[in-house]
Amino acid sequence: MIRKDDKGRIHLKLVFYGPSLGGKTTALRWLYGKVEGLQKGEFTAIEDETNRTLFFDYVPMSAGGRVLFDVFTVAGQKRHRHQRKVVLQGTDGILFVADSSPDQRDENTESFEELKLFLGDALGREIPIVVMLNKRDLPNRMSRDEMLDLLGLGGNVPIYETIAVQGVGVKRAFQAIAREVILKRMYK
Amino acid sequence: MSDPKAFDKILTDIIRQDKHIKKVILVDKTGLTIANVSKLSYYPVDVDSIGAIASAVFCASEEQGKNLQIGELEIVTSEFSEGKIFASACGKGVLCVVSDPEVNIGMVRLVMKKQGVQLADELDKFLAVEPLTPSDKDKEIDEEDLKSALAELERV
Repeated sequence: MIRKDDKGRIHLKLVFYGPSLGGKTTALRWLYGKVEGLQKGEFTAIEDETNRTLFFDYVPMSAGGRVLFDVFTVAGQKRHRHQRKVVLQGTDGILFVADSSPDQRDENTESFEELKLFLGDALGREIPIVVMLNKRDLPNRMSRDEMLDLLGLGGNVPIYETIAVQGVGVKRAFQAIAREVILKRMYK
Repeated sequence: MSDPKAFDKILTDIIRQDKHIKKVILVDKTGLTIANVSKLSYYPVDVDSIGAIASAVFCASEEQGKNLQIGELEIVTSEFSEGKIFASACGKGVLCVVSDPEVNIGMVRLVMKKQGVQLADELDKFLAVEPLTPSDKDKEIDEEDLKSALAELERV
């Protein structure tokens, strides 16, 4: 459903989802700080004193006058499961940030399974998803194929290899999910 | 069709009930701010962020209530040294009131409960209109906006 505010602006909600410390907030902060073509509102972060997300980060972004993307991240730590469920309400698109570190293998799987549980059949159908394979600069990173097998992803989901701390691939992944969401709205 | 001014009228009625109420915001449960009014024309807050947090906090408390099986959530009150925030259920939305610390809490609760019913009705109309009966003209505008956003996105 397209949501409009009292000024007639169309809002689309995008959520960065994924395991703890995978790079969700880093990717959003990079978009916020480094991408000049997007108009951005204030960065809101509900985090603890060590900058770990407690609930969500939120930035409104705009590409064009009347279409706004409300971009959220979720708190990745396992105990914040209920907060993640709340943040997912009404989402129009998912950017799943997977961690390429081999010791995060189980965390990636658990997080993706949880996402499928929360969104059910809507994931990938009504709600587009783009996957970021993050931390591709790690020397011992898992291979792309290994990660896709791990997540059970075939060829129908856009995949981007990213290094969020350097911004590598982040803008392209964001453009991809924003494009998918808009196209879904236009042609559904 | 729901009149967007109806929200402003109800929110204005609420803000007039007590001189210590500074801001009233209506958000949906996805965090989108639908309407807001302030006592002062210049009140420098980022309404979209305040709305997103208010909605998320309310929904998180609702989830907590479900987990503990303690019934429906009616109101969340947050007390700060220099002000208070109230958030209450109103159908598909959340009504948020920001006040000075001296505000009459009983009055605020009463007003939020009473006006919450009216807001819930208006919200039902507002949220039901677009998906069910969009006029062709509205649809065109939406499509044009989406196309223009798509083009802008490619240029980023």
